[in-house]
Amino acid sequence: MSFIKKHVEQATLNRRNFLLASIAGAGSLALPMSARPAFAADGPTIAWSYRNRTNPYWNAIVSGGGRFVESLGMSADDLVHLLNEGSSEKSLADVKALLSKTGGNLALGIDTNDAPNARPVVEACQAAGGYVTTIWNKTADLHPWDFGDNYVAHISWSDTKPAEEVANILIDAMGGSGGIVGLGGIPSNNPAIERRQGLDNAMAANGNTELLDYQAADWDTQKAAEIMSSYLTRFGDDIKGVFCANDTMAFGAVEALRAEGLAGQVPVVGYDGTAQAAEYIKSGEMQATCYTDPPWAGGVACSLAYHAAIGTFKPSEEPKGHREFYGPALVVSKADVDQFVADHIDGTPEVDWTDFWGPTTPAA
Amino acid sequence: MQGFMTRETLLKWAPVLVLIFLLLVFPIFEMTNAWAKGKEHIYLLDSRFLSIRNLARIAISATPALMVALGVTFIILMGSIDLSMEGTVSVTAVGFAYAFLWLGGTLASWAWLAIPLALLIGAAIGLINGIVHVKLRIPSFMASLAMGFVGTGFALLLTGGDRVRVEDPLFRALLTVRWMNFPIMVYVAAAFLLLMWFIQTRTKLGRNFYAVGGGEELAAASGLNVNRVRILGFMLAGICYGMGGLMAVGKIGIAETVTGANFMFISITAVVVGGTALWGGIGGVLNTLVGVLIVFVINNGMVVIGLPSYIQSAVLGILVIVAVVLSTDRRSVSFVK
Repeated sequence: MSFIKKHVEQATLNRRNFLLASIAGAGSLALPMSARPAFAADGPTIAWSYRNRTNPYWNAIVSGGGRFVESLGMSADDLVHLLNEGSSEKSLADVKALLSKTGGNLALGIDTNDAPNARPVVEACQAAGGYVTTIWNKTADLHPWDFGDNYVAHISWSDTKPAEEVANILIDAMGGSGGIVGLGGIPSNNPAIERRQGLDNAMAANGNTELLDYQAADWDTQKAAEIMSSYLTRFGDDIKGVFCANDTMAFGAVEALRAEGLAGQVPVVGYDGTAQAAEYIKSGEMQATCYTDPPWAGGVACSLAYHAAIGTFKPSEEPKGHREFYGPALVVSKADVDQFVADHIDGTPEVDWTDFWGPTTPAA
Repeated sequence: MQGFMTRETLLKWAPVLVLIFLLLVFPIFEMTNAWAKGKEHIYLLDSRFLSIRNLARIAISATPALMVALGVTFIILMGSIDLSMEGTVSVTAVGFAYAFLWLGGTLASWAWLAIPLALLIGAAIGLINGIVHVKLRIPSFMASLAMGFVGTGFALLLTGGDRVRVEDPLFRALLTVRWMNFPIMVYVAAAFLLLMWFIQTRTKLGRNFYAVGGGEELAAASGLNVNRVRILGFMLAGICYGMGGLMAVGKIGIAETVTGANFMFISITAVVVGGTALWGGIGGVLNTLVGVLIVFVINNGMVVIGLPSYIQSAVLGILVIVAVVLSTDRRSVSFVK
């Protein structure tokens, strides 16, 4: 416990220093130019390019990148952060700048902000001889195996199946029948679509449940609380279960129930496996969530690019399922929440960063 | 002799009429829904929408937004605009949460000091806002928008992107303990509204807001220190945003960088829908109360009658325009820009 506390404190401190440095005018690109310490011999510069720091999810992703860098005997601060702030143009420009600064000696993990931007990023890396692993965003026609060794791999998650499992836990908690209300993410987001599909699949397999209503709360806690309280007016006691497409909306639903003295009495499920959700599962206010292990993905994205760069393995000799794959998804319910908290919340699981494909499933 | 239904009386009461109309129209949809399913339904009596429990739900949802809207009311009364609310709410919420946890984490300890601290932070941001606007002579629109971004950035700096949880049962009693069907936070909001109403109607500062909004040159020529009034106005607004931050944390038990998100649209819409004129000098905090209720009654009612979520924002937009048309006297302005 104290170890992880220290780890989190340090990570927060680093983040704060990083943000302060950004404010001081040493923006994302200036960091690598300031006193970059000697990287182990001539090893590649390791970098993560992502959206921003306001989001706990991205913080978790890059914390894994930091842990991988530490496993090489360097400091987590040696990981170079490129923040695109939601701009694909900045994302590409930052990568190109870093490629020319490092002469292509680069191992990069990146979410390219949107799918079309993945191609120019990958092409820039190939042209300069850098190595890149993408996560989440890429177009369907873009494949790592079309770029030799430089486009090492693409990691994404398929949420349909895990969401179906989560929905099944909800239906079990409801006693197998009754009305369900749903709170969805931003309708055009892929995870929102897949998680809704998971709920639909679970309900189709169980004829005794009824979807009372399913509305978008845009991943937002406060909006979720408002819609949930309106649901309570509209359906009252007919609501036997609440399906939320992520944890932050589930917290809003729990608070709306708490206001009525109903928290813990109506089953609620979420997605993302946050620490708060784990606590709610322990206390009975939520029934299940699903953990996608972002630190693992953030670390292994760097590790794949790094080991391809130093020649530990040759990506072009790997099967397609090792180049495009789904990250892990761990469904957490009352039965296994203690183990989950011990492994992933209080503890930092020992990860073998060279076991690239252990917890994955092939996507190609 | 002036008749009872003069145009002025109608305009004055239009927002209230809009609110009453909305409260009566949603139950009609409920009734037709019930009939379509072949159920017995007595109009209003069987309405879930007009039940005390639902009115309490609407009140809970509206509370943080009401605090924020009260603040921006004074600014709009002066004919200025304040767009710093999202950043200010986030900073005060996060500042409150950290101070609260650091000072003991329960209202029964010194942690109660975090509450005045949050209001002080709000006032300080408002003060800077006002000084930047008045002394650097930057339009309030731009000065406050920029301060809002600074606030959001500062909140991010404090949290590093994490969420801060406030779980003290005493503080959360704001939401969980009810007196006469309504949670405590609704009474706190009512008391704060009363205080703001007092400031607006019974203090010199309140009257000065109207003087500045009604005719700034005239007010200045009469010896009024307009700059001082403006700065005090922004400070008062900052305190209101601080209250909004506190209520938002009380409502969901979480403070984060995005706690203030969405407050800009809702609060300014509510102020305008309530009948406070954007060109200043007309309206007040009671108008804002009605405006906030209109917006949240619409939001709640749309879900209660089962409108699909993709239609809701469009309907809200249209209803806002209709409400503004009905509730503001646009004949008195020569041009709209």
